[in-house]
Amino acid sequence: MTLELAIDQGQPMRLAGSLRCEPGQLVALVGPSGAGKTSLLRAVAGLMRPQNTRIRVGDSLWCDSTAGVFVPPQSRRVGLVFQDYALMPHMSALHNVALPLRGPQRLAQAQSMLERVGLTREQMQRRPAGLSGGQQQRVALARALVREPQALLLDEPFSAVDQMTRQQLYGLLAELREHIAVPMLLVTHDLHEARLLADELVVMAEGVVFQQGRADTIHRTPRNARVADIVGLANRFDGVWEGPDASSMAGTGWLRWGSGPHGLRLPVRDKGRIDVGQRVSWVVPGEGLHLCSLDAISAESQTRPPKNGLQLNVCLSELRHLGEVWLLHLRCETGPPVVFRLMLTGPQVLPLQTGQSLRLCLDLDMVHIMPVRTGAGTALPGQAEPAHLALSG
Amino acid sequence: MDWQALVLSVELAAVTLLVLLLPSLLVARWMARTAWRHKAWLEAAILMPLVLPPTVLGYYLLVSLGGNSWIGQWLQAQWDLSLTFNFLGLVVASVVFNLPFMVQPMLRAYEAIPRQLLEAGLVNGLRTIEIFWRIELPLIWPGVLSALVITFVHTLGEFGVVLMVGGNIPGETKTIAIAIYDRVQAFDLAGAHLMSLTLVVVSMVAVAASLLASRRLSHAQRAGVHT
Repeated sequence: MTLELAIDQGQPMRLAGSLRCEPGQLVALVGPSGAGKTSLLRAVAGLMRPQNTRIRVGDSLWCDSTAGVFVPPQSRRVGLVFQDYALMPHMSALHNVALPLRGPQRLAQAQSMLERVGLTREQMQRRPAGLSGGQQQRVALARALVREPQALLLDEPFSAVDQMTRQQLYGLLAELREHIAVPMLLVTHDLHEARLLADELVVMAEGVVFQQGRADTIHRTPRNARVADIVGLANRFDGVWEGPDASSMAGTGWLRWGSGPHGLRLPVRDKGRIDVGQRVSWVVPGEGLHLCSLDAISAESQTRPPKNGLQLNVCLSELRHLGEVWLLHLRCETGPPVVFRLMLTGPQVLPLQTGQSLRLCLDLDMVHIMPVRTGAGTALPGQAEPAHLALSG
Repeated sequence: MDWQALVLSVELAAVTLLVLLLPSLLVARWMARTAWRHKAWLEAAILMPLVLPPTVLGYYLLVSLGGNSWIGQWLQAQWDLSLTFNFLGLVVASVVFNLPFMVQPMLRAYEAIPRQLLEAGLVNGLRTIEIFWRIELPLIWPGVLSALVITFVHTLGEFGVVLMVGGNIPGETKTIAIAIYDRVQAFDLAGAHLMSLTLVVVSMVAVAASLLASRRLSHAQRAGVHT
């Protein structure tokens, strides 16, 4: 019962792309506000009728614009958890969960499902206003599941609860997932939550699906600069792809980074997908950056230098303390005048001072190159979260 | 006390409610959901009886439904019906001048239903009629109740339109409001006072009861108590 969606709508709002979700798989739709995540979910639920769309779940065709097929939401059997739960304020929790059920056993079925999500008999008799946010969320989840849906859709379900309740709900969802064999789509703007819960991510912006894949794959190899920004790859820079030549090793090519006396040629992996001479964006995840100088400060912390590493002289231009982490801005001194952003944890950071010279090792095997498309929307590099480099103390 | 006038007023109010209830519900439901760009004009037309002087409304009803109008002539020729100076004419006039009192509270109640609740009904497999009975009606009920009470009370007390369309025929068009005017004209101030006081008490009790009932319903929902 795989969920497959392909959409290409121009009006009234742009929605384009495709996604696939296997039974039992949880796919998170991530992207900034207004990216079209909820609209895509509503299209799957049948709450909107998009143009040029095809939605199939297993053998059931829910929407096919070209064939004029549109199954109304009542007949789709989807479980949808709304962002604000959408519980009926005039019904008890029990009757809310029994809403989609029919027959004499409906209340017994609803009660059993509410017990599964951890509500007591007394709580089941209360109306939503008499329940906490977390309990309301459990009722909403129970109502979505009690009908044995063909697809489970979660629209930012954890955004309105506190951190502790959220952790409990993550646990509940993980537990319920063991018994759910239907495709699950989760809309979230919280990348951390998406990586924690989902098997795969679908990255969206401006109504367009840019990339679907495992979180670590997207993090390592974003399809374009927009995806890199959305998944929080702050260290994104421009360059020109010069390709392989006689001096390059097998499987590598040259990336020109910067021009003039500060320009560098970096030997990076060549996947054969980019034309020679093309302008590119390149990113390096936090795992690909090593602050070598810290090894001298803390002998216990031995960060192994990468085989294909490039050492750069950098100056610590900014050091900010954010709770348990430190945000470092490192101005490059041997290469193009750019700023690398790093996040560090651990006591090694304590001796560091603004203005200090350090050595940064760039793992060239972790460098990922993306073609620059003219006209493609890109965010400013500073808008994204910094890469995370954790050093154990 | 002119009991005949009081009974006639109550009958007129009851028939008005019966005639208006379902159409008002449907109009309010449609208006709350439609994206029709001329909706404001329709709403303004419905609100007209609220802002126009009753005599103006009564005048146009008389002119448009009277024997010289094409509607009046057609009704007379087809069904042998007349809509002026009789109870049926009063009902038609009452339906028109009570439209805003019925539609507005229901419309506001419908508009207050979060869209997600209706969508939750859809994705949970409920048919349109089930959504109406199980979701919409319980949530708009305070609005419906207040519409019914205000319309009832307003009909009991309406004077200008009734006088213009119905005149003052005892047992046929002489409502309690006309009877009060009649008593004052005849310098029977005691009789006028008794009837006026009766209207004040009935109206006060009805409006207070509807407010109490609405608040109780809302309070029960806010408190999370399942009743």
